[in-house]
Amino acid sequence: MNCLVSEEEIEQVAKLMKIDVHDHKEFVDKVHAMIDYFDILDSAGVDDEEISMQDIPLSKLREDKYIAYDDKLIEKLNHYKEKYVRAPKMM
Amino acid sequence: MNLKISALEYVQEVQNGNISAEDFTAKTLERISQIDDKLHAFLQVNSDAVDQARQIDKKIKSGEKVGACYGMPISIKDNICIKNSKTTCASKMLENFISPYDATVISKLKQEDAVFVGKANLDEFAMGLTTEFSAYGPSKNPWNQDYVPGGSSGGSAVSVASHECIASLGSDTGGSVRNPASFCGAVGYKPTYGLISRYGLISYANSIEQIGPITKTVKDTAFLLNLVTGLDTNDDTTTDNSGQDYLSGIDAGIEGKKIGIIQEMIVEGTDPAVLSATKNAISKFEGLGATCEDVSLDMVKYSVAAYYTITATEAGSNLARYDNLLYGYDFPVEGYEFNSYISKARTKFGPEVIRRMILGGFVPSAGHAGKYYLKALKVKQKLTEEINKVLQGYDYLIAPTVPILPFKIGEKIDDPIALFLVDINTVTSNLTGKPAISVPFAVSNGLPIGMQILANSMEDKSLLQAAHALEGTVKLPEVPI
Repeated sequence: MNCLVSEEEIEQVAKLMKIDVHDHKEFVDKVHAMIDYFDILDSAGVDDEEISMQDIPLSKLREDKYIAYDDKLIEKLNHYKEKYVRAPKMM
Repeated sequence: MNLKISALEYVQEVQNGNISAEDFTAKTLERISQIDDKLHAFLQVNSDAVDQARQIDKKIKSGEKVGACYGMPISIKDNICIKNSKTTCASKMLENFISPYDATVISKLKQEDAVFVGKANLDEFAMGLTTEFSAYGPSKNPWNQDYVPGGSSGGSAVSVASHECIASLGSDTGGSVRNPASFCGAVGYKPTYGLISRYGLISYANSIEQIGPITKTVKDTAFLLNLVTGLDTNDDTTTDNSGQDYLSGIDAGIEGKKIGIIQEMIVEGTDPAVLSATKNAISKFEGLGATCEDVSLDMVKYSVAAYYTITATEAGSNLARYDNLLYGYDFPVEGYEFNSYISKARTKFGPEVIRRMILGGFVPSAGHAGKYYLKALKVKQKLTEEINKVLQGYDYLIAPTVPILPFKIGEKIDDPIALFLVDINTVTSNLTGKPAISVPFAVSNGLPIGMQILANSMEDKSLLQAAHALEGTVKLPEVPI
Protein backbone atom coordinates (compact mmCIF):
# COMPACT_ATOMS: atom_id res chain seq x y z
CA MET A 1 0.00 0.00 0.00
CA ASN A 2 1.29 3.41 -1.01
CA CYS A 3 1.09 5.24 2.29
CA LEU A 4 3.44 7.68 3.99
CA VAL A 5 2.33 6.48 7.38
CA SER A 6 4.13 3.39 8.58
CA GLU A 7 2.57 0.40 10.27
CA GLU A 8 4.89 1.02 13.19
CA GLU A 9 3.45 4.49 13.69
CA ILE A 10 -0.09 3.13 13.76
CA GLU A 11 0.97 0.41 16.22
CA GLN A 12 2.66 3.00 18.39
CA VAL A 13 -0.49 5.16 18.48
CA ALA A 14 -2.57 2.12 19.43
CA LYS A 15 -0.14 1.38 22.24
CA LEU A 16 -0.19 4.96 23.51
CA MET A 17 -3.97 4.87 23.52
CA LYS A 18 -3.83 1.65 25.56
CA ILE A 19 -5.54 -0.42 22.90
CA ASP A 20 -4.61 -4.04 22.29
CA VAL A 21 -4.91 -4.90 18.63
CA HIS A 22 -5.39 -8.61 18.09
CA ASP A 23 -6.25 -9.04 14.43
CA HIS A 24 -3.21 -7.04 13.50
CA LYS A 25 -3.29 -6.99 9.70
CA GLU A 26 -7.02 -6.34 9.55
CA PHE A 27 -6.69 -3.23 11.73
CA VAL A 28 -3.55 -1.80 10.22
CA ASP A 29 -4.85 -2.23 6.64
CA LYS A 30 -8.17 -0.56 7.35
CA VAL A 31 -6.68 2.31 9.36
CA HIS A 32 -4.15 2.75 6.54
CA ALA A 33 -6.95 2.91 3.97
CA MET A 34 -8.72 5.55 6.04
CA ILE A 35 -5.59 7.67 6.49
CA ASP A 36 -4.84 7.34 2.76
CA TYR A 37 -8.30 8.68 2.02
CA PHE A 38 -7.68 11.68 4.28
CA ASP A 39 -4.86 12.73 1.93
CA ILE A 40 -7.59 14.30 -0.21
CA LEU A 41 -7.45 17.18 2.30
CA ASP A 42 -4.11 18.19 0.72
CA SER A 43 -5.94 19.27 -2.45
CA ALA A 44 -8.55 21.40 -0.65
CA GLY A 45 -6.39 24.53 -0.98
CA VAL A 46 -7.12 25.71 2.54
CA ASP A 47 -3.57 26.32 3.76
CA ASP A 48 -4.18 30.08 4.10
CA GLU A 49 -7.54 29.67 5.79
CA GLU A 50 -7.81 30.92 9.38
CA ILE A 51 -9.46 28.65 11.90
CA SER A 52 -11.94 30.76 13.82
CA MET A 53 -13.36 29.63 17.10
CA GLN A 54 -16.52 30.92 18.67
CA ASP A 55 -15.69 32.99 21.74
CA ILE A 56 -17.92 32.36 24.71
CA PRO A 57 -17.28 34.76 27.61
CA LEU A 58 -16.93 33.17 31.01
CA SER A 59 -19.97 35.10 32.17
CA LYS A 60 -22.09 33.04 29.76
CA LEU A 61 -20.95 29.75 31.23
CA ARG A 62 -22.54 27.94 34.13
CA GLU A 63 -21.14 28.94 37.49
CA ASP A 64 -18.21 26.70 38.40
CA LYS A 65 -19.43 25.45 41.72
CA TYR A 66 -19.85 22.10 43.36
CA ILE A 67 -23.35 20.68 43.16
CA ALA A 68 -24.08 17.87 45.61
CA TYR A 69 -25.02 14.62 43.90
CA ASP A 70 -26.25 11.24 45.00
CA ASP A 71 -23.44 10.14 47.36
CA LYS A 72 -24.78 6.60 47.39
CA LEU A 73 -23.55 6.14 43.83
CA ILE A 74 -20.22 4.82 45.08
CA GLU A 75 -22.01 1.85 46.62
CA LYS A 76 -22.93 0.71 43.12
CA LEU A 77 -19.25 0.14 42.34
CA ASN A 78 -17.79 -3.29 42.88
CA HIS A 79 -14.20 -2.37 43.73
CA TYR A 80 -14.43 0.18 46.51
CA LYS A 81 -13.61 0.36 50.16
CA GLU A 82 -15.11 3.07 52.36
CA LYS A 83 -14.65 6.18 50.22
CA TYR A 84 -11.93 4.79 47.95
CA VAL A 85 -12.14 3.07 44.58
CA ARG A 86 -9.67 0.26 44.06
CA ALA A 87 -7.56 0.66 40.92
CA PRO A 88 -4.85 -1.55 39.41
CA LYS A 89 -1.19 -1.10 40.43
CA MET A 90 0.66 1.75 38.74
CA MET A 91 3.98 -0.14 38.55
CA MET B 1 -56.29 -0.59 17.03
CA ASN B 2 -54.47 1.44 14.39
CA LEU B 3 -50.83 1.70 15.42
CA LYS B 4 -49.97 3.56 12.22
CA ILE B 5 -51.32 6.90 13.42
CA SER B 6 -49.09 9.94 13.78
CA ALA B 7 -48.20 11.62 17.07
CA LEU B 8 -50.70 14.42 16.51
CA GLU B 9 -53.45 11.93 15.60
CA TYR B 10 -52.62 9.93 18.73
CA VAL B 11 -53.00 13.00 20.96
CA GLN B 12 -56.31 13.82 19.29
CA GLU B 13 -57.61 10.26 19.73
CA VAL B 14 -56.68 10.15 23.42
CA GLN B 15 -58.13 13.61 24.06
CA ASN B 16 -61.38 12.54 22.38
CA GLY B 17 -61.52 9.42 24.52
CA ASN B 18 -61.39 7.09 21.49
CA ILE B 19 -58.30 5.27 22.76
CA SER B 20 -56.51 4.99 26.08
CA ALA B 21 -52.77 5.34 26.60
CA GLU B 22 -52.74 1.93 28.31
CA ASP B 23 -54.42 0.09 25.42
CA PHE B 24 -52.25 1.80 22.83
CA THR B 25 -49.05 1.04 24.72
CA ALA B 26 -50.12 -2.58 25.31
CA LYS B 27 -50.80 -3.02 21.60
CA THR B 28 -47.48 -1.37 20.78
CA LEU B 29 -45.61 -3.80 23.04
CA GLU B 30 -47.56 -6.67 21.47
CA ARG B 31 -46.42 -5.55 18.01
CA ILE B 32 -42.83 -5.30 19.24
CA SER B 33 -43.02 -8.85 20.58
CA GLN B 34 -44.49 -10.04 17.27
CA ILE B 35 -42.08 -8.43 14.81
CA ASP B 36 -38.94 -7.32 16.59
CA ASP B 37 -37.37 -10.77 16.41
CA LYS B 38 -37.14 -10.10 12.68
CA LEU B 39 -36.22 -6.41 12.79
CA HIS B 40 -34.12 -6.06 15.94
CA ALA B 41 -34.95 -2.39 16.40
CA PHE B 42 -34.76 -2.67 20.19
CA LEU B 43 -31.95 -3.53 22.58
CA GLN B 44 -34.27 -3.35 25.60
CA VAL B 45 -38.03 -3.08 25.95
CA ASN B 46 -39.54 -1.29 28.94
CA SER B 47 -41.69 -3.87 30.73
CA ASP B 48 -43.20 -1.11 32.93
CA ALA B 49 -44.48 0.85 29.93
CA VAL B 50 -48.09 -0.33 30.28
CA ASP B 51 -48.17 0.54 33.99
CA GLN B 52 -46.75 3.97 33.23
CA ALA B 53 -49.38 4.51 30.53
CA ARG B 54 -52.09 3.43 32.99
CA GLN B 55 -50.94 6.11 35.44
CA ILE B 56 -51.27 8.72 32.69
CA ASP B 57 -54.80 7.48 31.90
CA LYS B 58 -55.63 7.99 35.59
CA LYS B 59 -54.40 11.57 35.38
CA ILE B 60 -56.56 12.14 32.31
CA LYS B 61 -59.66 10.66 33.98
CA SER B 62 -59.16 12.63 37.18
CA GLY B 63 -58.91 15.89 35.25
CA GLU B 64 -55.33 16.44 36.41
CA LYS B 65 -53.04 18.42 34.10
CA VAL B 66 -51.58 16.06 31.51
CA GLY B 67 -48.41 16.60 29.45
CA ALA B 68 -48.56 17.13 25.69
CA CYS B 69 -47.62 13.53 24.87
CA TYR B 70 -50.62 11.89 26.65
CA GLY B 71 -48.73 8.64 27.19
CA MET B 72 -47.39 8.43 23.65
CA PRO B 73 -45.04 5.46 23.14
CA ILE B 74 -41.61 6.72 22.10
CA SER B 75 -38.36 4.83 21.54
CA ILE B 76 -34.99 6.26 22.56
CA LYS B 77 -31.63 5.59 20.93
CA ASP B 78 -29.53 3.66 23.41
CA ASN B 79 -26.89 6.39 23.72
CA ILE B 80 -29.32 8.72 25.51
CA CYS B 81 -29.51 8.23 29.28
CA ILE B 82 -32.71 7.31 31.08
CA LYS B 83 -32.26 7.21 34.86
CA ASN B 84 -32.08 3.75 36.44
CA SER B 85 -32.17 1.98 33.09
CA LYS B 86 -29.48 0.43 30.94
CA THR B 87 -27.68 2.64 28.43
CA THR B 88 -25.34 0.39 26.48
CA CYS B 89 -24.45 2.43 23.38
CA ALA B 90 -24.73 -0.99 21.69
CA SER B 91 -21.32 -1.77 23.21
CA LYS B 92 -20.14 -4.67 25.35
CA MET B 93 -18.13 -2.04 27.23
CA LEU B 94 -21.35 -0.62 28.72
CA GLU B 95 -23.30 -3.88 28.73
CA ASN B 96 -24.50 -3.38 32.32
CA PHE B 97 -24.24 0.37 32.69
CA ILE B 98 -27.25 1.78 34.53
CA SER B 99 -27.57 5.51 34.03
CA PRO B 100 -27.74 7.45 37.31
CA TYR B 101 -29.49 10.43 35.71
CA ASP B 102 -31.86 11.49 32.95
CA ALA B 103 -30.71 13.27 29.82
CA THR B 104 -32.32 16.71 29.51
CA VAL B 105 -34.47 15.53 26.57
CA ILE B 106 -35.68 12.63 28.72
CA SER B 107 -36.57 14.92 31.67
CA LYS B 108 -38.49 17.15 29.28
CA LEU B 109 -40.39 14.25 27.69
CA LYS B 110 -41.17 12.75 31.11
CA GLN B 111 -42.71 16.08 32.11
CA GLU B 112 -44.82 15.85 28.97
CA ASP B 113 -46.03 12.35 29.88
CA ALA B 114 -44.27 10.39 27.16
CA VAL B 115 -43.87 6.65 27.71
CA PHE B 116 -40.50 5.19 26.72
CA VAL B 117 -41.20 1.77 25.22
CA GLY B 118 -37.58 0.81 24.78
CA LYS B 119 -33.99 1.60 23.90
CA ALA B 120 -33.24 1.44 20.19
CA ASN B 121 -30.30 -0.26 18.50
CA LEU B 122 -27.40 1.70 16.99
CA ASP B 123 -23.89 1.26 15.69
CA GLU B 124 -21.57 0.93 18.69
CA PHE B 125 -21.12 4.42 20.20
CA ALA B 126 -22.99 5.77 17.14
CA MET B 127 -19.99 5.06 14.91
CA GLY B 128 -21.39 3.73 11.67
CA LEU B 129 -24.24 4.12 9.26
CA THR B 130 -25.85 0.70 8.98
CA THR B 131 -26.18 -0.64 12.61
CA GLU B 132 -23.91 -3.49 11.50
CA PHE B 133 -21.39 -2.27 14.08
CA SER B 134 -23.80 -2.83 16.98
CA ALA B 135 -22.24 -5.34 19.40
CA TYR B 136 -25.69 -6.94 19.63
CA GLY B 137 -26.27 -7.51 15.92
CA PRO B 138 -27.74 -5.34 13.16
CA SER B 139 -31.26 -4.01 12.81
CA LYS B 140 -33.06 -4.92 9.58
CA ASN B 141 -34.76 -2.63 7.10
CA PRO B 142 -38.54 -3.12 7.46
CA TRP B 143 -38.99 -2.64 3.70
CA ASN B 144 -36.72 -5.59 2.95
CA GLN B 145 -35.02 -7.42 5.79
CA ASP B 146 -31.99 -8.36 3.69
CA TYR B 147 -31.08 -4.69 3.57
CA VAL B 148 -29.51 -2.31 6.08
CA PRO B 149 -31.82 0.23 7.75
CA GLY B 150 -29.12 2.91 7.77
CA GLY B 151 -27.50 4.26 10.89
CA SER B 152 -26.33 4.95 13.33
CA SER B 153 -29.87 5.58 14.68
CA GLY B 154 -31.06 2.54 12.71
CA GLY B 155 -33.11 1.04 15.55
CA SER B 156 -34.92 4.35 16.04
CA ALA B 157 -35.83 4.61 12.35
CA VAL B 158 -36.91 0.96 12.12
CA SER B 159 -39.09 1.26 15.23
CA VAL B 160 -40.92 4.31 13.82
CA ALA B 161 -41.23 3.04 10.24
CA SER B 162 -42.57 -0.36 11.36
CA HIS B 163 -45.01 1.16 13.90
CA GLU B 164 -43.30 -0.26 16.98
CA CYS B 165 -43.67 3.22 18.47
CA ILE B 166 -44.99 6.60 17.38
CA ALA B 167 -41.76 8.55 17.37
CA SER B 168 -38.14 8.25 18.41
CA LEU B 169 -35.14 10.31 19.42
CA GLY B 170 -31.83 9.58 17.73
CA SER B 171 -28.55 11.45 17.48
CA ASP B 172 -26.98 12.85 14.33
CA THR B 173 -23.21 13.36 14.10
CA GLY B 174 -22.79 13.03 10.34
CA GLY B 175 -26.23 11.95 9.19
CA SER B 176 -27.11 9.37 11.81
CA VAL B 177 -30.74 10.51 12.05
CA ARG B 178 -31.32 11.50 8.41
CA ASN B 179 -29.59 8.49 6.82
CA PRO B 180 -31.70 5.77 8.55
CA ALA B 181 -34.84 7.91 8.19
CA SER B 182 -34.15 8.02 4.44
CA PHE B 183 -33.46 4.28 4.22
CA CYS B 184 -36.59 3.36 6.24
CA GLY B 185 -39.09 5.91 4.87
CA ALA B 186 -39.38 8.11 7.97
CA VAL B 187 -38.83 11.81 8.65
CA GLY B 188 -35.41 12.50 10.22
CA TYR B 189 -34.36 15.85 11.64
CA LYS B 190 -30.95 17.31 12.53
CA PRO B 191 -31.63 20.63 14.24
CA THR B 192 -29.44 23.75 14.27
CA TYR B 193 -26.41 23.02 16.45
CA GLY B 194 -27.34 24.01 20.00
CA LEU B 195 -31.11 23.84 19.58
CA ILE B 196 -31.45 20.64 21.66
CA SER B 197 -29.43 19.95 24.80
CA ARG B 198 -26.84 17.17 24.53
CA TYR B 199 -26.71 16.67 28.31
CA GLY B 200 -27.12 12.95 28.85
CA LEU B 201 -26.24 12.02 25.27
CA ILE B 202 -23.15 9.84 25.48
CA SER B 203 -20.49 11.87 23.72
CA TYR B 204 -18.93 10.89 20.42
CA ALA B 205 -18.05 14.17 18.64
CA ASN B 206 -19.42 17.02 20.74
CA SER B 207 -18.62 19.87 18.39
CA ILE B 208 -21.01 18.67 15.69
CA GLU B 209 -23.48 16.13 17.09
CA GLN B 210 -27.10 16.82 17.94
CA ILE B 211 -30.08 14.86 19.22
CA GLY B 212 -32.87 14.79 16.63
CA PRO B 213 -36.35 13.31 16.25
CA ILE B 214 -37.38 10.54 13.85
CA THR B 215 -41.11 10.63 13.18
CA LYS B 216 -43.84 9.54 10.79
CA THR B 217 -44.68 13.09 9.63
CA VAL B 218 -43.02 16.50 9.48
CA LYS B 219 -45.72 17.89 11.78
CA ASP B 220 -44.75 15.26 14.38
CA THR B 221 -41.15 16.47 14.20
CA ALA B 222 -42.35 20.05 14.84
CA PHE B 223 -44.47 18.75 17.74
CA LEU B 224 -41.46 17.04 19.34
CA LEU B 225 -39.18 20.02 18.76
CA ASN B 226 -41.65 22.15 20.72
CA LEU B 227 -41.08 19.83 23.67
CA VAL B 228 -37.33 19.23 23.67
CA THR B 229 -35.62 22.42 22.44
CA GLY B 230 -34.28 25.37 24.44
CA LEU B 231 -31.54 26.54 26.77
CA ASP B 232 -30.09 24.11 29.28
CA THR B 233 -27.68 25.10 32.06
CA ASN B 234 -26.17 21.62 31.79
CA ASP B 235 -25.16 22.20 28.16
CA ASP B 236 -23.49 25.53 27.51
CA THR B 237 -23.70 25.02 23.75
CA THR B 238 -27.49 25.31 23.80
CA THR B 239 -29.12 28.29 22.13
CA ASP B 240 -32.07 30.37 23.26
CA ASN B 241 -34.86 29.82 20.72
CA SER B 242 -37.25 32.07 22.67
CA GLY B 243 -39.82 29.31 23.04
CA GLN B 244 -40.31 29.09 19.27
CA ASP B 245 -43.51 27.23 18.23
CA TYR B 246 -42.46 25.04 15.32
CA LEU B 247 -45.94 23.69 14.68
CA SER B 248 -47.79 26.97 14.25
CA GLY B 249 -47.77 28.17 10.66
CA ILE B 250 -46.30 24.93 9.36
CA ASP B 251 -48.77 25.09 6.47
CA ALA B 252 -47.28 28.41 5.27
CA GLY B 253 -46.01 26.86 2.03
CA ILE B 254 -42.98 27.90 0.02
CA GLU B 255 -44.37 30.13 -2.69
CA GLY B 256 -41.78 32.68 -3.78
CA LYS B 257 -38.94 30.94 -1.96
CA LYS B 258 -35.57 30.36 -3.62
CA ILE B 259 -34.03 26.90 -3.50
CA GLY B 260 -30.44 25.99 -4.35
CA ILE B 261 -29.67 22.51 -5.71
CA ILE B 262 -26.23 21.53 -4.39
CA GLN B 263 -24.34 20.29 -7.45
CA GLU B 264 -21.55 18.60 -5.48
CA MET B 265 -24.17 16.34 -3.86
CA ILE B 266 -25.53 15.00 -7.14
CA VAL B 267 -22.38 13.43 -8.43
CA GLU B 268 -21.20 10.51 -10.50
CA GLY B 269 -22.18 7.32 -8.73
CA THR B 270 -25.55 8.63 -7.61
CA ASP B 271 -28.12 5.87 -8.13
CA PRO B 272 -30.34 6.56 -11.20
CA ALA B 273 -33.46 6.09 -9.05
CA VAL B 274 -32.16 8.69 -6.57
CA LEU B 275 -31.32 11.02 -9.46
CA SER B 276 -34.78 10.66 -10.89
CA ALA B 277 -36.37 11.26 -7.44
CA THR B 278 -34.27 14.41 -7.06
CA LYS B 279 -35.43 15.77 -10.44
CA ASN B 280 -38.99 14.96 -9.44
CA ALA B 281 -38.55 16.76 -6.09
CA ILE B 282 -37.27 19.85 -7.94
CA SER B 283 -40.41 19.79 -10.13
CA LYS B 284 -42.58 19.46 -7.04
CA PHE B 285 -40.88 22.43 -5.40
CA GLU B 286 -41.38 24.48 -8.57
CA GLY B 287 -44.99 23.36 -8.66
CA LEU B 288 -45.36 24.74 -5.15
CA GLY B 289 -44.21 28.15 -6.35
CA ALA B 290 -40.50 28.05 -5.45
CA THR B 291 -37.62 28.85 -7.80
CA CYS B 292 -34.88 26.23 -8.05
CA GLU B 293 -31.36 26.92 -9.30
CA ASP B 294 -28.04 25.09 -9.24
CA VAL B 295 -25.58 26.20 -6.57
CA SER B 296 -22.03 25.11 -5.82
CA LEU B 297 -20.32 24.29 -2.52
CA ASP B 298 -16.79 23.44 -3.57
CA MET B 299 -15.70 22.18 -0.14
CA VAL B 300 -18.29 19.38 -0.14
CA LYS B 301 -15.70 17.27 -2.02
CA TYR B 302 -13.48 17.35 1.06
CA SER B 303 -16.23 17.28 3.67
CA VAL B 304 -16.20 13.53 4.36
CA ALA B 305 -12.44 13.46 4.98
CA ALA B 306 -12.74 16.54 7.22
CA TYR B 307 -15.70 15.02 9.03
CA TYR B 308 -13.95 11.72 9.80
CA THR B 309 -10.77 13.48 10.87
CA ILE B 310 -12.62 15.76 13.29
CA THR B 311 -14.96 13.06 14.66
CA ALA B 312 -12.14 10.55 15.14
CA THR B 313 -10.15 13.16 17.05
CA GLU B 314 -13.05 13.95 19.34
CA ALA B 315 -13.91 10.26 19.70
CA GLY B 316 -10.32 9.47 20.70
CA SER B 317 -10.67 11.98 23.50
CA ASN B 318 -14.25 11.16 24.53
CA LEU B 319 -13.73 7.42 24.63
CA ALA B 320 -10.64 7.72 26.82
CA ARG B 321 -13.05 7.61 29.79
CA TYR B 322 -13.79 3.93 29.11
CA ASP B 323 -10.83 2.65 31.05
CA ASN B 324 -12.79 0.62 33.63
CA LEU B 325 -11.88 3.16 36.28
CA LEU B 326 -14.25 5.96 35.24
CA TYR B 327 -16.58 3.88 33.06
CA GLY B 328 -16.60 0.27 32.05
CA TYR B 329 -17.74 -3.09 33.35
CA ASP B 330 -17.14 -5.53 36.19
CA PHE B 331 -13.60 -6.82 35.67
CA PRO B 332 -11.33 -7.63 38.64
CA VAL B 333 -8.11 -5.64 38.99
CA GLU B 334 -6.03 -8.47 40.50
CA GLY B 335 -3.04 -9.51 38.45
CA TYR B 336 -2.95 -6.44 36.22
CA GLU B 337 -0.63 -3.48 36.12
CA PHE B 338 -2.30 -0.12 35.37
CA ASN B 339 -1.75 0.09 31.59
CA SER B 340 -2.30 -3.59 30.89
CA TYR B 341 -5.53 -3.51 32.89
CA ILE B 342 -6.91 -0.67 30.75
CA SER B 343 -5.74 -2.31 27.51
CA LYS B 344 -7.33 -5.58 28.54
CA ALA B 345 -10.59 -3.88 29.55
CA ARG B 346 -10.72 -2.05 26.20
CA THR B 347 -10.74 -5.30 24.24
CA LYS B 348 -14.52 -5.14 24.77
CA PHE B 349 -14.70 -2.33 22.23
CA GLY B 350 -15.82 -3.48 18.78
CA PRO B 351 -13.54 -3.20 15.72
CA GLU B 352 -14.97 0.04 14.30
CA VAL B 353 -14.62 1.85 17.65
CA ILE B 354 -11.03 0.65 17.95
CA ARG B 355 -10.24 1.80 14.41
CA ARG B 356 -11.66 5.25 15.08
CA MET B 357 -9.86 5.54 18.41
CA ILE B 358 -6.56 4.71 16.72
CA LEU B 359 -7.35 7.25 14.00
CA GLY B 360 -8.31 9.72 16.71
CA GLY B 361 -4.95 9.25 18.36
CA PHE B 362 -3.11 9.59 15.07
CA VAL B 363 -4.60 12.53 13.15
CA PRO B 364 -4.16 15.20 15.85
CA SER B 365 -0.77 13.90 17.03
CA ALA B 366 2.44 15.93 16.95
CA GLY B 367 3.87 15.79 13.43
CA HIS B 368 0.54 14.90 11.81
CA ALA B 369 -1.93 17.49 13.14
CA GLY B 370 -1.00 20.04 10.46
CA LYS B 371 -1.62 17.56 7.66
CA TYR B 372 -4.86 16.13 9.02
CA TYR B 373 -6.67 17.69 11.98
CA LEU B 374 -5.86 21.36 11.44
CA LYS B 375 -6.52 21.02 7.71
CA ALA B 376 -9.87 19.39 8.49
CA LEU B 377 -10.77 22.34 10.73
CA LYS B 378 -9.85 24.70 7.89
CA VAL B 379 -12.08 22.78 5.46
CA LYS B 380 -14.88 23.02 8.04
CA GLN B 381 -14.31 26.77 8.27
CA LYS B 382 -14.26 27.30 4.51
CA LEU B 383 -17.33 25.09 3.99
CA THR B 384 -19.19 27.19 6.57
CA GLU B 385 -18.17 30.39 4.78
CA GLU B 386 -19.31 28.93 1.44
CA ILE B 387 -22.71 27.81 2.73
CA ASN B 388 -23.29 31.10 4.56
CA LYS B 389 -22.60 32.98 1.33
CA VAL B 390 -24.93 30.76 -0.71
CA LEU B 391 -27.68 31.05 1.89
CA GLN B 392 -27.61 34.84 1.52
CA GLY B 393 -29.26 34.28 -1.86
CA TYR B 394 -31.37 31.20 -1.17
CA ASP B 395 -33.93 30.17 1.46
CA TYR B 396 -33.20 26.45 1.25
CA LEU B 397 -30.68 24.04 -0.23
CA ILE B 398 -31.63 20.57 -1.41
CA ALA B 399 -29.97 17.29 -2.31
CA PRO B 400 -30.84 13.61 -1.94
CA THR B 401 -30.25 12.55 1.68
CA VAL B 402 -28.14 9.58 0.55
CA PRO B 403 -26.89 9.24 -3.04
CA ILE B 404 -27.58 5.51 -3.14
CA LEU B 405 -30.42 3.16 -2.22
CA PRO B 406 -30.25 0.99 0.92
CA PHE B 407 -27.78 -1.84 0.30
CA LYS B 408 -27.62 -5.42 1.47
CA ILE B 409 -26.44 -6.29 4.97
CA GLY B 410 -22.75 -7.21 4.76
CA GLU B 411 -22.27 -5.61 1.34
CA LYS B 412 -20.03 -2.72 2.43
CA ILE B 413 -18.96 -3.65 5.95
CA ASP B 414 -15.39 -4.51 4.93
CA ASP B 415 -14.86 -1.40 2.83
CA PRO B 416 -14.48 1.65 5.10
CA ILE B 417 -14.07 4.08 2.20
CA ALA B 418 -17.29 2.89 0.50
CA LEU B 419 -19.05 3.43 3.82
CA PHE B 420 -17.45 6.89 4.20
CA LEU B 421 -18.95 8.01 0.91
CA VAL B 422 -22.50 7.13 1.94
CA ASP B 423 -22.19 10.16 4.26
CA ILE B 424 -21.24 12.62 1.50
CA ASN B 425 -24.58 14.49 1.45
CA THR B 426 -25.27 14.59 5.17
CA VAL B 427 -22.02 15.69 6.87
CA THR B 428 -22.20 19.26 5.53
CA SER B 429 -25.04 20.22 7.85
CA ASN B 430 -23.12 18.86 10.85
CA LEU B 431 -19.85 20.56 9.94
CA THR B 432 -21.61 23.89 9.42
CA GLY B 433 -24.17 23.61 12.24
CA LYS B 434 -27.09 24.10 9.83
CA PRO B 435 -30.44 22.37 10.32
CA ALA B 436 -31.38 19.64 7.82
CA ILE B 437 -34.28 17.27 7.35
CA SER B 438 -34.83 14.08 5.38
CA VAL B 439 -38.34 13.73 3.98
CA PRO B 440 -39.52 10.36 2.60
CA PHE B 441 -40.03 11.08 -1.08
CA ALA B 442 -40.04 7.95 -3.26
CA VAL B 443 -39.83 4.17 -3.25
CA SER B 444 -37.72 2.36 -5.85
CA ASN B 445 -37.56 -1.42 -6.13
CA GLY B 446 -39.34 -1.60 -2.80
CA LEU B 447 -36.78 0.61 -1.01
CA PRO B 448 -37.36 4.19 0.20
CA ILE B 449 -35.55 7.34 -0.95
CA GLY B 450 -35.37 10.47 1.20
CA MET B 451 -34.94 14.06 0.04
CA GLN B 452 -32.83 16.39 2.15
CA ILE B 453 -33.54 20.08 2.71
CA LEU B 454 -31.11 22.40 4.53
CA ALA B 455 -31.65 25.94 5.81
CA ASN B 456 -29.72 28.62 7.64
CA SER B 457 -28.97 28.35 11.37
CA MET B 458 -32.03 28.99 13.57
CA GLU B 459 -34.30 28.82 10.51
CA ASP B 460 -35.66 25.50 11.76
CA LYS B 461 -39.25 26.71 11.66
CA SER B 462 -39.00 27.80 8.04
CA LEU B 463 -37.22 24.52 7.17
CA LEU B 464 -40.11 22.51 8.61
CA GLN B 465 -42.55 24.54 6.52
CA ALA B 466 -40.64 23.61 3.34
CA ALA B 467 -40.43 19.95 4.40
CA HIS B 468 -44.14 19.86 5.17
CA ALA B 469 -44.92 21.34 1.76
CA LEU B 470 -42.80 18.70 -0.01
CA GLU B 471 -44.27 15.91 2.09
CA GLY B 472 -47.75 16.96 0.96
CA THR B 473 -46.88 16.27 -2.68
CA VAL B 474 -46.19 12.55 -2.24
CA LYS B 475 -48.10 9.48 -1.17
CA LEU B 476 -45.84 6.52 -0.52
CA PRO B 477 -46.86 2.86 -0.22
CA GLU B 478 -47.11 1.38 3.26
CA VAL B 479 -44.19 -0.46 4.80
CA PRO B 480 -44.67 -4.18 4.02
CA ILE B 481 -44.46 -5.59 7.55
